[in-house]
Amino acid sequence: MDCKAIRDLVGQRWGEELPAEALEHLRKCAGCEAYWRNARFLQAGFHALAEATPPEASFGFASRLVRRLQEWDATGARSEFFETVGRRFVYATLALTLALLLSLALPSTGPVRGVAGADFLGLQSRNQASQPDVVGGEIGDTHELNLGGPTE
Amino acid sequence: MARSEFDVSQEVEYIRRVQKGDSEAFGLLVEKYQQRIFSIVFHLVRRRDEVEDLAQEVFFKAFRAIRSYNFQSSFATWLSRIAVNHCYDYLRKVRASRLSYYSEMTEESAHELERKAESPPPQGLDQGEKLALRDFVGRLLERAPEDDRLILTLKELEDYSVEEIAELLKLKTSTVKVRLHRARKRMLVDLERWRQEGK
Repeated sequence: MDCKAIRDLVGQRWGEELPAEALEHLRKCAGCEAYWRNARFLQAGFHALAEATPPEASFGFASRLVRRLQEWDATGARSEFFETVGRRFVYATLALTLALLLSLALPSTGPVRGVAGADFLGLQSRNQASQPDVVGGEIGDTHELNLGGPTE
Repeated sequence: MARSEFDVSQEVEYIRRVQKGDSEAFGLLVEKYQQRIFSIVFHLVRRRDEVEDLAQEVFFKAFRAIRSYNFQSSFATWLSRIAVNHCYDYLRKVRASRLSYYSEMTEESAHELERKAESPPPQGLDQGEKLALRDFVGRLLERAPEDDRLILTLKELEDYSVEEIAELLKLKTSTVKVRLHRARKRMLVDLERWRQEGK
């Protein structure tokens, strides 16, 4: 077993005995031996920490909490509702104002509004000029209409 | 029967009552679970004087969110999840701690403590040494990233199984195992670094 495998094993078998092969490695490798000793130290520390007893809830903890909840129910919930509604109202007003300002500030045509009318028409006519029509020719080509009569 | 001892069907009934706004019924649930929540908060936060305030905030959050509880996990797990998340947020806000107590020990007593702690199984420690060890590892844990601290606390101090942690944190058991392994490794690296700095 190499050092990496040993260290992985120490992590995996946390708090358990290591196999003989690993113990053999520990006897030869000072680095891994120190690693393993540190692991034992941490385990002992966790063990000691777990023994520390949490504080007890003070007398009347639950009833005080319920009283607070009832107070909150009576006032807090209502104020929270109005706060939420109020906040939404403010956001909606801001959004509307912004939209109104933008509509006033922007010209009815022009580059900011979109492609200007004249440019747009020019662009469209240029595009159309280079597009093939459905029959396969360019627009402006003439085609004879075949009405099904005999051909020469 | 004590007020805080009731069976599952009664618990379901109390929860339904609370979901309809009955805060008195919530008081019964608080009485049943307060010690569990105090324990989680205490081991995660490690500030004895703040445990009660934080636990109160946890129950307050639970009361406000109880309508979203859909009985898919046990109420204890659901409540513990709120406690863990609340403590996690708290820990992220309050980041501070330096090793002090252990470093204030004389070099001789520190070596003696290390020797005793490393000998399997940990025994022969007197009360003072136990306190020093607890304090040292506690501070080492406080220095760890919140994720590591959370998972190590649940496993090593609260004695949750990997499966229970997975349910609590909404993770896969394989993910919990990997995170646990990494957290232990990081703690060991930190301990090694601290020892080298100390020499």
